Amino acid sequence: MIYSIKLALKSLWFEKWIHMLTVVTIGVGLFVLGLIFFSLYNIEGITSRLPERFSVTVFLSAGTGNREINQLRVRLREDPIVKRIKYISKEAALVELRTSLKDAAYILEGLDENPLLPSIEIRLKENGFDKKKVEGLINRLKSLRDVDDVVYGENLLGTIYTIRNAVKTISAGVILLFSMAIIFVCYSTVKILFYRRKEEIEIFKLLGATKGFIRLPFLIEGGTLGFLGGLLGGAGTYVLYRFINGTVISDFPILGVMHMPLGLVAALPAGGAILGIIGSTIALGRLKF
Amino acid sequence: MIGFKDVTRIYDNMTALRKVNFGIGKGEFVYITGPSGAGKSTLLKLIYLAEKPDEGTISIAGWETDTLRESAIPYLRRNIGVVFQDFKLLVNRTVYDNIALALRIRGFGETEIKGRVQDALKLVGLRHKNDNFPAALSGGEQQRITIARAIVGEPTVLLADEPTGNLDVDNAAGIMKIFKEINAKGTTILIATHNRELFRNTGLRVLWFDNGNLVADKEG
Repeated sequence: MIYSIKLALKSLWFEKWIHMLTVVTIGVGLFVLGLIFFSLYNIEGITSRLPERFSVTVFLSAGTGNREINQLRVRLREDPIVKRIKYISKEAALVELRTSLKDAAYILEGLDENPLLPSIEIRLKENGFDKKKVEGLINRLKSLRDVDDVVYGENLLGTIYTIRNAVKTISAGVILLFSMAIIFVCYSTVKILFYRRKEEIEIFKLLGATKGFIRLPFLIEGGTLGFLGGLLGGAGTYVLYRFINGTVISDFPILGVMHMPLGLVAALPAGGAILGIIGSTIALGRLKF
Repeated sequence: MIGFKDVTRIYDNMTALRKVNFGIGKGEFVYITGPSGAGKSTLLKLIYLAEKPDEGTISIAGWETDTLRESAIPYLRRNIGVVFQDFKLLVNRTVYDNIALALRIRGFGETEIKGRVQDALKLVGLRHKNDNFPAALSGGEQQRITIARAIVGEPTVLLADEPTGNLDVDNAAGIMKIFKEINAKGTTILIATHNRELFRNTGLRVLWFDNGNLVADKEG
C-alpha cells in the first residue's frame, strides 16, 4: 500500500502537466456542481421557510353559530398539516379592514351593517407545505356546510412548486452530466498514464505483480486528481460566494438570504475523489493487461 | 521441477515448438541451445507463462499450466526468476529500486528488502552501484543487476535468455560463475544460449533444439 502510494505520488510529479490539466478540468466541473448544490440548498432553504408566510383563510357562512365554529376549530386543530389557527370574527375583520385602509377608511362610513364574514386563518406545518396535501385540505374544507369560501395562495403555491421541481430536474440532469464528464476525464487520464507506463507494467507483471498491485497506484492517482479538482472547485465556489456576499450584495440586497454551507465546500473534494476513483476503476476494468 | 508433455506452440502458421517432451529435476543446471529460431526463447516464455502452449501441458514446481487460473499466474512467476535478454530494467529507477521491486511486489517490508538487496548485489559484485541508474552502467553490469533482481526473491527456478549474448569473454565468464554459485544453493537453472563455448566440456545437461523440435538431450 505504501509503495503504491509512493508510485502514485511519483507519477503525479513526473506527469505533472497532464495531471495539472486534469485537475483544472475536474475543478471547473466540480465548481459548476458546487454552484448547483449551492443554488439547490438556497432554493430549498427559501421554500422551506414559505409555510411561515403561507396561510389558508376559511370564510364561514353568515349566521354560522358558535357551536359550529367551535366544532370546526377542533376539527382543524386535529388536522395533521395544520400548525395553528386563528378565528377572526366579522367584527374583528372589520376593524382589521379599517386599519388597513388607513386614510381611505371613510369609505366604510356609510355601511349600515357589517358585510364581512367571520373567518379562520390557518397556518400550515412545514411538512404540510405540499401542493397535494394543501389541495386535499382545501377540498375537505370546501365540502363543509358552514364554509362559504376558502382562499389561499393557489397561484403562488403552484408557481413555487413548478419552479422548485424544474430547478430540481434540471439540476439533477446537469449534476449527472458533469459527474459523467468528470468520470470521463479521470478515465481518459488514467488510460493515457497506463499506456505511457505500459513497458513498466509489463515488467511488473513478469516479476509476479498481481492485477491489484498494478491497479492500486492508478486508483490512488485517480482519487487524488479528483480530490485536488474538488479542492479547486470548492475554493472557487467559496470565493464566488464571498464575492457575492461582499460586493454584489450591496447592489442586490435580495441575495442576502443566500447561505453557503461549509459542508458543501468540504464535500466537493470528497465527491471529486469518489468520481476520480470511479473513472479510474472503469478505465482499468476496460484495459487488457 | 519442470515438465513438458507434448508441448506445441504455433505463431500464425509457424510452429515454434513441436510436441516437446522433457523433464528437469530440482537443482539441475540445464542449457538449452540451438540456432536462431530453434524455439529457445519460446520455451522460456512458456515456462514463465508469458505465453501459453497451443497443445500439451507444462508443469512447473507442482503447477499445471492447463488448469492454472489467470489470477494464479503472478504467484507462479514469483517462484521463477528470469534474466531477460534485453534486461528489462526500469530506466527511471536506481539499481536498488530495480532489485527491490521484485520484493515489493511480493509484499516484503523495507527492512527485509534492504538486507536482501544488499546480499543480491554482493553476490553479483555491484554493492557500490546501489544508487546508480541503469543508463550509467555497462552492459555487463546491467546483466548482473538483472540477475540480482531475478534471484533476490529466492526463486526455485532461474531462467536466463542469452545471458552472455552482448558481453565480452571476461564478463561472460563472470556471469556464468554467478550462475554456478546460485545453482550450488539449490536453485534450478535453465540457460538458453546459442554460444556452445558456454557448456562445452562442462558435463552439464544440454537440450538441443532445431526448428522447434527437441533433437538431443545430452551432456555438454
